[in-house]
Amino acid sequence: MELEHSFTVPVPKERAWDVLLDVERVAPCMPGATLDAVTGDEITGKIKVKVGPITMTYAGTARFTERDKEAGVVTLEASGKETRGAGTASASVRSQLTDEGDSTHVTVRTNLNVTGKPAQFGRGVMTEVSGKLIGIFADNLASMIAAEPAAADSGGTAATADPADSGGTAAAADPADAEDDQDSGVPADTVASPDEALPIDVLNLPTRAWSSLRQDGVQTLGDLVRRTPDQLLAIDNIGPASLAEISKRLEDRGLALSESAGAAAGSAVPSARPAGDDVTTPSAPSYRDAAERAAQNGGAPADAGAAPREPVRWQPQDEAIDLLGIAGLPVLKRAVPAAAGLLGLILVIFGLRRRRARRR
Amino acid sequence: MIPAQFEYVRPSSLDEAVRALADGGDDAKVIAGGQSLLPLLRLRLAYPDLLVDVGGLDELCGVTDQGDSLLIGARTTHYHIVHDPMIAEHCGLLAQAAGTVADPAVRHRGTLGGSLAHADPAGDLPAVVLVLEATLVATGPNGRREIPAGEFFADYLTTTLSPGEILTGIRVPKLGKDWGYRYEKFHRTAQAWAIVGVAALARRSNGQVAEARVGLTNMGPVPVRAAAVEAAAAGADASAAALTAAAAAAADGTNPPADLHGQPDYRSHLARVLTGRALAAAAGV
Repeated sequence: MELEHSFTVPVPKERAWDVLLDVERVAPCMPGATLDAVTGDEITGKIKVKVGPITMTYAGTARFTERDKEAGVVTLEASGKETRGAGTASASVRSQLTDEGDSTHVTVRTNLNVTGKPAQFGRGVMTEVSGKLIGIFADNLASMIAAEPAAADSGGTAATADPADSGGTAAAADPADAEDDQDSGVPADTVASPDEALPIDVLNLPTRAWSSLRQDGVQTLGDLVRRTPDQLLAIDNIGPASLAEISKRLEDRGLALSESAGAAAGSAVPSARPAGDDVTTPSAPSYRDAAERAAQNGGAPADAGAAPREPVRWQPQDEAIDLLGIAGLPVLKRAVPAAAGLLGLILVIFGLRRRRARRR
Repeated sequence: MIPAQFEYVRPSSLDEAVRALADGGDDAKVIAGGQSLLPLLRLRLAYPDLLVDVGGLDELCGVTDQGDSLLIGARTTHYHIVHDPMIAEHCGLLAQAAGTVADPAVRHRGTLGGSLAHADPAGDLPAVVLVLEATLVATGPNGRREIPAGEFFADYLTTTLSPGEILTGIRVPKLGKDWGYRYEKFHRTAQAWAIVGVAALARRSNGQVAEARVGLTNMGPVPVRAAAVEAAAAGADASAAALTAAAAAAADGTNPPADLHGQPDYRSHLARVLTGRALAAAAGV
């Protein structure tokens, strides 16, 4: 089925282009999406779709098949398999950017194919769901691009843009800002964390907590960190469990709830943790953490030409997997009959040989 | 197929049920008759962490007369609705539509509240409560709330009930004796979902249709009122020709789904034909 969505973002085409190619920032815009790894052009991840009582999770890969900066066209081909079923889904998402001076018009055309239970069950469930998903995705994308603080953005985009392209974006960046970042190693404390402009969707909160927050007017992470735990508990359907969950997810991003009702926005943002620590953390950080930190630091990887920034980026998963380690006992079990057969054969051969030897 | 694991509670009072649902974590779900939810569980399309079974809440069963309206408990089964004398007298459309829901086994277990809260666009009863201009009564952690049927259905399988709320009853205004009704449902096999369904009410006076209400099932993600038809039918002659002409606008402004049972244009055609039939029958032509 084909779906088309379009929106206009108030940034020049150049910037919109860079953001659109930055998987780490685009992925959280897709409701329920998590990235597992990004290897070159290929992205591995999961997407959890929820509609009413129905939940579907797809795991798969996506890759950029077309990147034409002149024409402003990006095509992303994605395919996945249900994690709890035999269904498959594949999509081709073609985004077209049109320059409109200070703003950019983005048209997202999606071609979607779904097989398996959801497709059979739904009497059209997938049309409804995917239409809505991509609608939300387009909305989130629009608000994310629009909400990017200019300084943080220029650093961030340069970070992940193609090396060949980065010249252009770096030029657009305010050199002074970039310099600042480089000196201190962390974004200046006075600048609110760029995360604060992100919608709370990026926390991937449980639906109940998410919708309760939204109903109470909490739209962005900034809105969230300005609340105290007690204020959150006062919201319907937010209990101690949800509060703990919210705090934990915020913590993962280096954010925290406000200490007291009087505390203003500024103090609610914890001082950015030293990026250096992250870099040298010996335990290899999971991809997610690394990506979030990269996003949180406003693109730390980029602003440090000389510093050993590479480790901040995620560690791509090893291509070769340890089959026994993953599958474990089931594989061993299968090997048992084969091993037993082999052993039997060896015994027979051994026995025959001994007989022959005796005859002689 | 066997459902994925979930916790199960069966409270004995509404307060307890509301509390259980509120404390129930993020994926708590109410189960009543289970006729829609169980297939989803067994197909493993739904994985709730907790099921709150309202089967023990007898306060949610049955029909009470409240003067100018009937309050129907959310746990009242389709079977009960089909056979209830008060419903037959004051809002027969509901009984007629409930009689077309799936098969007898499902009608004995399935409940009115469950079918409304599930909000399946192909379900028969949402369009019916819409034309009956019913009010849905829900109880949540903050107490009772009344939601007009027109504001209840938000989207595909989604209602405006907030996550901790339980639908407890449906208040249906009594219709006068001069109202006729008809639920027309098109499906390939007797127990199948409606490909398109039309719920029509018409009040006749002096050989004319004084007022008409038309609701459409499965012509979009939520049940819709065919406002254009209602306007055209009001004041029209109570004749087959006039009502068929009024029904020509039935599919206007709808967004019917495409699936194995039919494409949007086919559904639009069905909506026009069925609306004509339903209106004619409701007006006693």
